[in-house]
Amino acid sequence: MKVLRRAGVDVTFPADQTCCGQVGYNGGFEQEAREVALHFMDVFDGDEPVVVPSGSCASMIKIFYLDLFADDPVLLERAQRLSERTHEFSDFLVNVLEVENVGAAFGGTVTYHDACHLLRELHISAEPRALIEGVSGAELAEMTDSDRCCGFGGLFSVKFPEVSAAILGEKLENIEASGAEVVVANDCGCLMHMRGALSRKGMRQRAMHIAELLASQSGLAVGQPERPEA
Amino acid sequence: MTLVKSSQFRKASAAAVRSPKIQIALDRVMDHFVEARAHALEEFPPESWEQMRERASAIKAQTLENLDYYLDLVDRNVQRNGGQVHFAADAAEANRIVVDIAKSVGAKQAIKSKSMVSEEMGLNQVLEREGIEPVETDLGEYIIQLAHETPFHIIAPAMHKSREEVSDLFHDWLKTAPTDDIRQLCMIARSALREKFATADIGITGANFVVAETGTVVLVTNEGNGRMTTSVPRVHVAISGIEKVIPAIEDVALFLRLLPRSATGQRITSYNSFISGPRAPSDEDGPEEFHLILVDNGRLNLLKDPEFREALKCIRCGACLNTCPVYRKVGGHAYGGVYSGPIGAVVTPMMAGIKDAKDLPHASTLCGSCRDVCPVKIDIPKLLLRLRQREVGGSASERSSTWTERLLMRRWRSTVLTRAALERSASLGRFLQGPITRRNRIRKLPVPVLGGWTKARDFPPLAPKSFATIWRDELAGDGRG
Amino acid sequence: MAVAKSTEPTNKAEFLQRVREALGRKEPLLYPPDYPPLKSATIRQEEKIQTVLARNAARRPRLLERLAENAGAAGWNVHRVWNPEDTAQTVADIAKKAGAKNVVRSSEDVFKPMDLDGALRRARIKPIVLASSRSRPRADLTGIAFDADMGVTGVSYAIAETASCVITPRRGLARITSLAPPVYVAVVRAEQVIESLDDYFALVRLQYQRTRGRGVNYANFISGPSRTADIEQTLTIGVHGPGEVHLVLVS
Repeated sequence: MKVLRRAGVDVTFPADQTCCGQVGYNGGFEQEAREVALHFMDVFDGDEPVVVPSGSCASMIKIFYLDLFADDPVLLERAQRLSERTHEFSDFLVNVLEVENVGAAFGGTVTYHDACHLLRELHISAEPRALIEGVSGAELAEMTDSDRCCGFGGLFSVKFPEVSAAILGEKLENIEASGAEVVVANDCGCLMHMRGALSRKGMRQRAMHIAELLASQSGLAVGQPERPEA
Repeated sequence: MTLVKSSQFRKASAAAVRSPKIQIALDRVMDHFVEARAHALEEFPPESWEQMRERASAIKAQTLENLDYYLDLVDRNVQRNGGQVHFAADAAEANRIVVDIAKSVGAKQAIKSKSMVSEEMGLNQVLEREGIEPVETDLGEYIIQLAHETPFHIIAPAMHKSREEVSDLFHDWLKTAPTDDIRQLCMIARSALREKFATADIGITGANFVVAETGTVVLVTNEGNGRMTTSVPRVHVAISGIEKVIPAIEDVALFLRLLPRSATGQRITSYNSFISGPRAPSDEDGPEEFHLILVDNGRLNLLKDPEFREALKCIRCGACLNTCPVYRKVGGHAYGGVYSGPIGAVVTPMMAGIKDAKDLPHASTLCGSCRDVCPVKIDIPKLLLRLRQREVGGSASERSSTWTERLLMRRWRSTVLTRAALERSASLGRFLQGPITRRNRIRKLPVPVLGGWTKARDFPPLAPKSFATIWRDELAGDGRG
Repeated sequence: MAVAKSTEPTNKAEFLQRVREALGRKEPLLYPPDYPPLKSATIRQEEKIQTVLARNAARRPRLLERLAENAGAAGWNVHRVWNPEDTAQTVADIAKKAGAKNVVRSSEDVFKPMDLDGALRRARIKPIVLASSRSRPRADLTGIAFDADMGVTGVSYAIAETASCVITPRRGLARITSLAPPVYVAVVRAEQVIESLDDYFALVRLQYQRTRGRGVNYANFISGPSRTADIEQTLTIGVHGPGEVHLVLVS
């Protein structure tokens, strides 16, 4: 919100919103997912651009709604119009507002994790990096295999927790090896996943959503989670 | 299809993750394959490689659409070349055909070059029962044959075996002295198998491609055992799934460019054999009889479904395995079937029945990396999703989601269907999480299914105020903050 | 000799019908699918080949360079012979350096204008022509090849793109000559070198069309030494096929 407003956007938050429905869709529960998605489409009916902070939600709305409603021409048309208006957060800043420097300041090394749906469904990878480089004082240090999955995969993380944790373990090693203090991602699932293990392992790195980084004005990110005491 | 143990994926994958041996092998091999492939692709500008993939995908799709025509063409052309074609509806029929051919020439020993479809068939066990000794000649297959195991990877079947284990196997079965020198181990296999090459009665191979236009079986190999198997014995039997057909001889060039690079990062393998029939009367050597067995064994399940048909485009390169974050951590055995990794997670349920393999479509984060590397552009994540959908809402024989899952999903749906419901659940959640939250994190979630999270990760507690509340109370009226 | 058996598979019709039904059809296709690579007639293919051969002839010196370079990178030992008379000696030198006591070779035409046997004998190496004859039936050839120290053949083509020597067995050329001994030498004449896999398969197609399918039943690409990485992903050369391969390129 802060970042968008600083960039001069009149942004509102439709209070009735709940969920994009991806959890159900990915689990194969089309019926349930459709109901939830319909609620979403109702809440976000209109003409304004819709900005989505999480990459997987954005790809659900932009891409998978078209599959979910493929057999209903009326709903499909609505989904298509919504898809055209929907933008993931960094995509909106860089490609719609044409802004790469939002006036943020953060002294520290940052590494970026390419969330899977954001990268492979929405093909967004240059935009977040451009925004990070636009942060005064921040240094972008690429990690090895930034585009490898973090192991979350929604319900996968609880259906096969051992495998999920093992995949995450490798991601954390790469984050550590990059030398960065902060890992930035544009996906709430990935962030929750990475944060969960960073804190369990007592690692010093923090995981931040790109908006948190961009909202930072003085070297401390706004609303950062409390650092777990060692 | 032979015994499929894919329903044990949960346990098997957890065990694999805990196994230092498997983890060491995966660490060593997976990166090697990925880097080799990346290096091989550097030769092409990205658009060229893309065009190649697109063309190969289109050729395969066209072939599958007209598969009856092309299979007939294969038969007529192989016959014209002096060979024989057999059609096998299932593994049992295919095994019977092989045994009949072997018995008709009084074969006592069969040498085999790598063939995944023969693993599906369980051919070796059948041959042994019939008093015919099968000898795998591909080094990796030879090792797993001695170990009585199934392949760990489509291209590198014995990648999970350390040199010490190989040395022990050779010591136990061939009575050779233990050694940790890899070259020496290879030379032991070379001598042992060289004898067999010279004396075997029948050679059995798979087929990488079957060219309809000329009735040609194409073998893509590196060791030389494929050539031995198809040159020395009196009879050559090639076994191929029906989906291996490509239409024209001039199509081979494209597939020979895609397959080795995708599989091992080679521009071309050491040997490529093009076999269209038995030896010509004037040939100095070569088999007198050539048989091609075309096998269905569940592939028609994939063919008859317009969405799943594309899974039959697969050229068995293994690239999807090498890039898959799940395969890279668990390896091939956990998938419980002959085909593992992303493609295995699609074809095993389709060929063996979803119920026998219900975990496999969920053994994926749907990251999409497999789709990126597939040389024939199979949309594997989409197919996995479709399988998940069938487990929930498919036919009676497909429905296999658990009662718990269905309940959870209905709960989720109700919770997020309206704002009010969500806020009520959140309030309840804030109340319940109090006792289990320490220092702003939840270390143990005592809940079924979701509790698995906290085995290795902390769970974030719900924030004291939802964003919607903050918005309502503070930000909405703010205009420009 | 192909054994005469009943050639029509008994269950073929039933099998193909099930395939058809899986595709949503009841009847076989009335016309072949519209797939251009299959439809191009012999005349068109002949024109295509004229172009292929002309292009290859025009680019030959560069093709030879490319073949030599790619072959070296692929694990061949490349020997360039600028004077055809030196070919026999080159091969004999390879045999001597490899410590070969006996060498099997094909009886191809490529060996006619040179005295390879003489050169080998002078180096105290025994040459054996691996071709069947009244004194040496086919059955013996395998044993001889398996015991030999080195094998030498000519080639049908050498493909520069992939450094592949194409061997098509026929009278006087046993497959096993290039496979069983631990050392292999391919003698390639300049005019046999072609640019790409596409060129090769275009040539194969024309031959197939001309002979109405009664042509060659076997061909093999050899693109380097035998290799495996099946144990701990460690490369080992020379597992079943030759571990040492030489390409003698005669300009």
